Amino acid sequence: MKLKFKSLWSWIWFLIGTLYFILPLYATLDFSLRMERDTIGFKAYRVAFADPKFVETFARSNILAVITIIVSIILIVPTAYWVRLRLPQARRIVEFITLLPFVIPAIILVFGMIRVFSTPVRIPFTDIILIQPLTTLIVNKFHLGTYILIVAGYMILALPYMYRAVDTGMRTVDVRTLTEASQSLGANGFTIMWHVILPNIRASLLSGALLTYAIVVGEVVLASFLGLDTFGPYLFLLGQHRAYEPSALTFVAFLLTWAAMGIIQLVSGEQGQTAGAH
Amino acid sequence: MAYLSISNVSKQFGDTTVVDNFNLDIEKGEFVSFLGPSGCGKTTTLRMVAGFEIPTTGQIMLDGSDITDVAPNQRNVGMIFQSYALFPNMTVAQNIAFGLRVRKETDDMVKQRVQEMIALIHLEEHANKYPFQLSGGQQQRVSLARALAIHPQVLLLDEPLSALDAKIRVSLRAEIRSIQKSLGITAIFVTHDQEEALSISDRVVVMNVGEMEQVGTPFEIYNFPKTSFVANFVGSLNTSKATVVDPAGGILDMNGIRVHSESGVQGKKKGDVVMVAIRPERFSFSWEGKKENVTEGTVENITFLGSVVRVQLLIGGIKFNMDTFNRPSLTLPKIGEKCEVTFSSKAVLILDD
Ligand SMILES: Nc1ncnc2c1ncn2[C@@H]1O[C@H](COP(=O)(O)OP(=O)(O)OP(=O)(O)O)[C@@H](O)[C@H]1O
Ligand SMILES: [Mg+2]
Repeated sequence: MKLKFKSLWSWIWFLIGTLYFILPLYATLDFSLRMERDTIGFKAYRVAFADPKFVETFARSNILAVITIIVSIILIVPTAYWVRLRLPQARRIVEFITLLPFVIPAIILVFGMIRVFSTPVRIPFTDIILIQPLTTLIVNKFHLGTYILIVAGYMILALPYMYRAVDTGMRTVDVRTLTEASQSLGANGFTIMWHVILPNIRASLLSGALLTYAIVVGEVVLASFLGLDTFGPYLFLLGQHRAYEPSALTFVAFLLTWAAMGIIQLVSGEQGQTAGAH
Repeated sequence: MAYLSISNVSKQFGDTTVVDNFNLDIEKGEFVSFLGPSGCGKTTTLRMVAGFEIPTTGQIMLDGSDITDVAPNQRNVGMIFQSYALFPNMTVAQNIAFGLRVRKETDDMVKQRVQEMIALIHLEEHANKYPFQLSGGQQQRVSLARALAIHPQVLLLDEPLSALDAKIRVSLRAEIRSIQKSLGITAIFVTHDQEEALSISDRVVVMNVGEMEQVGTPFEIYNFPKTSFVANFVGSLNTSKATVVDPAGGILDMNGIRVHSESGVQGKKKGDVVMVAIRPERFSFSWEGKKENVTEGTVENITFLGSVVRVQLLIGGIKFNMDTFNRPSLTLPKIGEKCEVTFSSKAVLILDD
C-alpha cells in the first residue's frame, strides 16, 4: 500500500517534470505553425530555410563544428590515453582542467582571448614587435586568425564533454591491459592506436562528437564577440526582428539535438551488446 | 647456461623495494610457478620478464641474449592476463590472428595457424564469435591461443584462472599444463593459490615481500619447507618452539615433550631454541601402529572436512591439528578424552627461522 503510494508520487513528479520540458517545446512548435492566419502550415519553415543568410551561417557553423570535432579528437584521444597509461597520478589535475569551462563563463573566455591574441607581442620596454597578433592573420581576405581563435575557443567549451566521453570509453575497455596485450603480441604504437584503441572507443568518440556539434552549432557568445557570422548570432538576430521563423528554427535545432542524443543512445547501447562488432 | 635467467634483479618504485635481489634460472620447456601472498611482487617480476617494467638493477637473459632493456613488442614473449584482455572489437579468429598480422605473415600462413590454434583449444564452433559471446573459461583459452600463435619463447601467465569458478579453474589448469607440455614451451605461472602452484608446476618459487623464500619442486616445497613462511603458506601446518637437547641424536624438548627429529639439528648447540613444524596429516593414533614419537594429547575439537577429519589436540599445552582420512571404519575419541598419538621422526621439520 505504502509502496504504491510512493510510486504514485514518483509518477506525479515525473509528469510535472515532463510537462515542464514539453510544454515550452509544444508552444514553440504550435506558434511556428501559425505564420499564416487561421491555418496550420509550414510557411515559417519555408521562409526560414529560403533565407540565403540562413544557409550561409548554418553551413559555416557546421564546418566549424566538424573542424572542432576533428581537432578535439586529435588532441584529446592521445592525451586521455597517455594519462590513463603513464600518468595516472595526473588524472585529477587533468580532470580539473577539463571542468574549468563549466566554471569560467564564455564571455570571460572570449574577452581573455581577444585581449591576448589581438595585441602584438613586443620586446619589453620597446616598440619592436616580435609576433603580430593572431587576429590580423588574413589570407586572401579570409580571417584565418579569427577562425583559428574561434575553433580553439569551441574546443575549450567542448572539452568537458569530449574528454569525459573519451576517458569513460577508455575505462570501460581497460585500454591499459589491451595495450599491454597488443605490445606483447609485437604491435607498435600506431597499430595499437588504430586497430585496438580507436575501434573500441568508437561509441564514446561519437557521443563526444555529437555533443560538441550541438554546442558549436548553437553557440552565440564567442561568435558574436569575435565578429563571425555563424548560426547562433543569426538566430539571435532573427529573434529580435521576426516572430515565427526563429520559433521554426529553434524547433528544428531541438530536433537535431534530439536526433544526436538518439544516435548516442543507439550506438552506445549497441556497443554494450556487441562490443563494437564490425 | 639456462634458457631464461633472471640475475640479481631488484625493482624499486620510488623508495619502496618491491622485488629484492631475485635470482632464478629456468630451463627450456620448464613450467615454473611464482607463489606468494598478495603484494609480494609476483606480478612485478613477471612484468619485468615481459618488458612492461624495467629492473632497477640486475639482468634478464633469454636464450643467450640480454633482454633487460628490450621493449615489450621487441621480445618474443606471450602474456596471459587475469582479465583475458581480448580485443572486444575482434572475433576469436581475428584475436588469434592479431600477432601474426602484426608480424606481416601471409594470409595463407595466418589462416592455417589460426585454424591450428583454434583446434588446440577446441573452440572450432566459436571462431567467428566476439569475446562477449564466450564464457570466461573460453575467453581465457582464446587468449592462450592468441599468445601461443606467435611461437613465443616464454609464456607468462598472471593469475590466469583467478576470475574463473572453481570447477573451470581445475579443468583449465590441467589443459594449460598439457598444452604447455605438448608444445614444450617455457612458462612462468603466477598464482597465490598453493594448490594450483603445486599441482601443475615443475618448480615453485615461493615469494614473500619481494624476496624469494624457497625454490624447489612441489614435492620439496611441500615436504621440506625451509622457512616457517613457506611451511605456513604451503599446506596447513603446526609449528612450535623447541629446545635442542641432543644435537647429534636429533633430540628436542617441545614444552616438556621429548621429540625425535631426523632432519638436521647438526648446526645447533644444546640449549638452542628452534622452530619445528609437523604437518597435520603426519599424526596418527598409536593404536594404528607406533612410530618413533609417541605422546599423549587431549582432544579439543573434531571437524569433518569431507575426505579428511581434523582433530584438534592439546599436546604439552600446545594446540596441534591432526588430519586423518575419513573412512567408515574410523573410530574417533570423544571431545575431552585423552588419546595417544604418534608421528615419525621424519615428520618433524626444523625450520630456518
Ligand atoms: N607501478 C607501481 N608503482 C608503485 N608501486 C607499485 C607499482 N606496481 C606495483 N607496486 C607495488 O608493488 C608491490 C608488489 O606488487 P605486485 O603487483 O607485484 O604484487 P603481486 O605479488 O602480483 O600481488 P597480487 O597477488 O595482489 O597480484 C605492491 O605493494 C604494489 O603496491
Ligand atoms: Mg599480481
